[in-house]
Amino acid sequence: MDILKEDLKRQIIEQLNLEDITPEDISDDNLLFNEEGLNLDSIDALELIVLLEKYHGIQVTNPDEGKVAFRSINSMAEYIRKRKS
Amino acid sequence: MRDMDKNTYYIIAASTISHQDTFGKTGFSDSMSPVVSPALITPDYKAFIDAGLLRRMSKILRMAVACAKDCLAQAGLDQPDAIITGTGLGCLQDTDKFLNTSLTVEGLLPPTAFIQSTHNTMAGQISLSLGNHGYNMTHTQNTLSFEHAMVDALLLLDEGEQHILVGAADEHIEILSEITTHLGYKPGFPLTSGASFFIISKEKRHDTVARIADCEPVAFAQDPVAKLTRFLDTNSLEISDLNRVVYAVPGNANAGKYKTIWREAGLDPEKCINYLSLSGVYPTASAFALNYAVDLISQDRSLKNILIFNALRKENLGLTLVQSVEA
Repeated sequence: MDILKEDLKRQIIEQLNLEDITPEDISDDNLLFNEEGLNLDSIDALELIVLLEKYHGIQVTNPDEGKVAFRSINSMAEYIRKRKS
Repeated sequence: MRDMDKNTYYIIAASTISHQDTFGKTGFSDSMSPVVSPALITPDYKAFIDAGLLRRMSKILRMAVACAKDCLAQAGLDQPDAIITGTGLGCLQDTDKFLNTSLTVEGLLPPTAFIQSTHNTMAGQISLSLGNHGYNMTHTQNTLSFEHAMVDALLLLDEGEQHILVGAADEHIEILSEITTHLGYKPGFPLTSGASFFIISKEKRHDTVARIADCEPVAFAQDPVAKLTRFLDTNSLEISDLNRVVYAVPGNANAGKYKTIWREAGLDPEKCINYLSLSGVYPTASAFALNYAVDLISQDRSLKNILIFNALRKENLGLTLVQSVEA
């Protein structure tokens, strides 16, 4: 089990108040902003930026980076590890 | 100036979320009891609000959107011509959340609570939920917010609109209790939340039981009894013509004063009800009183004139005359 990915799932559920979703409902490669994934929207994107700073101390200053990073749990974890390395 | 003779303002739908079993019910006025529990009787919001929107909504937004949609369903309307809301203190839960976060979190602040902390979020969310592009207005005038919203609705009907969604809501958060304690404010009834919405229309339906005969918010009311007498005189009535008075007067001393006034005017004290005991205290509780008045009429069509006397705040006086509609 990848602890970072599990933490991200819990943090997303809390930050976005996804009332009926559990970490088990989110697969690592689910597209976060796709209807077949979590169907997030632009306000959620802002909340994810706040989440990265709040829990991981990472500021997303380049919008293009965010587009790639917020595709899925996998890409978010990869982005966090890259920024912290 | 409104010409009350020219237009009739029918109440074709009413919906309330409160401590009483009001939502989706008629005849609730027969089985009400004083507010004791802090919990509101709420519907299953998922039946009214898309899950994607619901997760972001605070209590006041959930209540407002559910009541608004219930009203439209009752009236058989897809869209109102306008959406008008009143709120005394606005979206306190989101304001509280945003301000607390700004005190404790360094760096970026979460946007949702900030976006939804403004008073007009309620009318905006109703509009978004319905896809409504009509007139959208929020009135915030302390304890007269609902009356101001109602006057706006009546003016729009005078100007030719057909069906107006008008309502009010306020939500209680814990810090309000702390603040009122510090201020020494003792309303005599629990501070709480509530929401009431209505469709006011020019068109009478087969099941319409009540109409708004008049509504007047009075700021800085020096002599409430004189104002009331003039208000009733404008409507060719005297206090003794009233079949019920539903009033909001906080504190025992003030309530006693008005009980004396009603009694001296020849009204049965049993027919004068301080609605704060039923709704609890929030700035727009007079909207609850309107739904209560409509429900009383629906149960007893002999009630021709019901006065809503809103003196929740000493300086403000809200007067609303509700009349039964001939079947």
